[in-house]
Amino acid sequence: MRSVKRGFKSFRRHPLRNLIVILLLFVCLSFSLSMLAVKLAADNQVEEVKRSVGNYAEVKVSSDYRMAVFEEERSQRESERAARARTMTAEELAEQRTRFLVPEELTDAFSRQSEIIAYDKVLETTVNLSNVKNVQLETMLSMRQRGPQGEGPAALSSSSFTFEGNTNGASASDFLLGNKVLVEGSFYTYDDYLKKNPVVLIEKTLAEENELGMGDTITAAISGKSGSSAKMQLKIVGIYETVQAEQQEGGSNTETFNPMGEVFYAPLSVVQELNNTPGYVSLGSYYFDNVDSTGKLQQYFETEVADGDKYELATDLADFETISDPLQKVSKTSTIGLAGALGACALIILLAMGIIIGGRTRELGVLKAIGATDRQVMAQYAVEVVCICLVAVILAMGVTALISQSMGDWLMGESKSTATAGEEQQAQSQGPGQFMGGLAGGDKLYKEGGRFSVASIERQPLDLNVVYQGSLFLYGILILLGISLLGMIVPVVWIVRLRPARVLSME
Amino acid sequence: MHDLLEVKGLSKTFRVKSGDVTAVDKVNLRARKGEVTVILGPSGSGKTTLLYLIGSLESPDAGEIDAFGENICRAGADLIEYRRKRVGFVFQSFNLITALTALENVVLPMDLVGVPTAQAHERAMELLARMGIDGRLQKAKANKMSGGEKQRVAIARALANNPDIILADEPTGNLDSATGKVVVDILVNLARNDSKCVIIVTHDDGILDAADWAYRMEDGKLEGADLSA
Repeated sequence: MRSVKRGFKSFRRHPLRNLIVILLLFVCLSFSLSMLAVKLAADNQVEEVKRSVGNYAEVKVSSDYRMAVFEEERSQRESERAARARTMTAEELAEQRTRFLVPEELTDAFSRQSEIIAYDKVLETTVNLSNVKNVQLETMLSMRQRGPQGEGPAALSSSSFTFEGNTNGASASDFLLGNKVLVEGSFYTYDDYLKKNPVVLIEKTLAEENELGMGDTITAAISGKSGSSAKMQLKIVGIYETVQAEQQEGGSNTETFNPMGEVFYAPLSVVQELNNTPGYVSLGSYYFDNVDSTGKLQQYFETEVADGDKYELATDLADFETISDPLQKVSKTSTIGLAGALGACALIILLAMGIIIGGRTRELGVLKAIGATDRQVMAQYAVEVVCICLVAVILAMGVTALISQSMGDWLMGESKSTATAGEEQQAQSQGPGQFMGGLAGGDKLYKEGGRFSVASIERQPLDLNVVYQGSLFLYGILILLGISLLGMIVPVVWIVRLRPARVLSME
Repeated sequence: MHDLLEVKGLSKTFRVKSGDVTAVDKVNLRARKGEVTVILGPSGSGKTTLLYLIGSLESPDAGEIDAFGENICRAGADLIEYRRKRVGFVFQSFNLITALTALENVVLPMDLVGVPTAQAHERAMELLARMGIDGRLQKAKANKMSGGEKQRVAIARALANNPDIILADEPTGNLDSATGKVVVDILVNLARNDSKCVIIVTHDDGILDAADWAYRMEDGKLEGADLSA
């Protein structure tokens, strides 16, 4: 304790000398801590991104396979195609229906990978409903028919609706994203899926226009069947509102037109029956532990599942990279800055202590001559070093709170501009065809919502939010201890090696 | 004989670039409490090394030092304790810590051994007063003092833990003759009145007047005579 007091007094006795050392350390420590704050923030944000992006994959029929099938069909004449359709057996017709679908056993097998933490399977199809009309579409179609261009597109019908089936209504991507909100009733459950309960969720406007409510039934046609077994009664168990469509409405002056209203949500097993494709899904949707598992899953998929190039594993790795790349670059840059600044701190404290001790050799000799133990002298100098470093660290932490956000913004700006330049270069090298392909939304993932939802804002690189974290304080203490210990090396070596007789003999 | 400091066959050799230099060569010496022992010799004769050996600042290559019944050259001897409580040094260049005041310099040895602060201050003020350093001067920084004042502060510091032995290395070397005489008188009084064993190494023949025992040292060898008679 007395050594501590002596050290503290000694620290106070040399204000000018200490001030110079503190100032030098302060500058380097401010830079170090700012870089550390930026790095911690960037790493934290990458971890946050990892929790929501980059951990999604879906197994579906590959676009290459689809293109190959289309090319093959295009190569046939219309008459050949019609003749072939007429002579198809039941098996061939079933195969025709499922050619762009994935067998459930395949998606189930993939879900058994240990990295998978959530799994859903989805089937999207068009179903004709006999007692429901899309009034708005009907009006639109009738206007087109009356217009100079003649009939509307044959594929559009006011009684055909998109049905999306999955294993649990609440986990349908549109509801998870908040694009759609259940306003009445409840979601169908996993139990409904297992028991093939004929229940359905309907859009609010569509329900109102058709005077349908909770508990009412709608009649759906089963694809490829005829007669009494070709109909299925579906009970309305929930009514939802389309949030995103309402937003579009306000911005685009399209009155009450709601293109998403036609989607019905039902248990997967029911939609499979309506589509007459039991055991097949459009895609298997998976959330896995984190982005780092992507490679392993991709490898497993290619060796065990892909079946040549028929199926593909689509992931949101690109989204993750778009968001996290600037953050990771900032993290790397700040690590280099941190290392450099800490190195400068180390150099400053070593040099400063070398100069301080060199100027006080005689004092050390006197202390030892009058009976001070090495430990007492070391403790005194340790307190001096700690005081110098402590003042510098406290000041630096204060300044870090003020400048770290600016540092982060500057580094992030640099990273974003580098990334943007890289993307532009990449876009130019890819050519316009691929760019258009991207716009068409062909690669859109199920987790990003329905066909009419806007692209997720998560695709945009984030801003770096440098918050003053508790861990920064702990790192500040660690840095304080580190440079103090380093600063102690010089006095310790001098004290241990010092022979008082030699020092005191020097005139 | 517990009032006797006895040095037997003490040797110390230093290795330098030009070869080995024997600074102290089989030296035998006796000094008693209450007496002033003067070791006279030219520069480089080895007298300071001998003083540092006696004060345990150097370790001997051979020989023994029996300090009032305690062999400090034996293995396991507590040299720190010996340096703290049995020996007080007075140097030619004073070796005060310049950043400290006179009072703080005198308090320091007591602080190192754990004497309560108030008690240490009281004793330090008493010792300084005895050396003629009073009031304002006690609070003055060591580097603001004259040579004589510094040396008196150094003597007070040497006495702080009430040691048996005062080892003075050229105590008048940096002082004018009048101030030097004052310092020598203080040292003589310490021997006579406080029963300290005072050993002074010097090249100043004038100090011989104050000596009870005088030795002449040359090339590491010691020859002596009892001058008390």
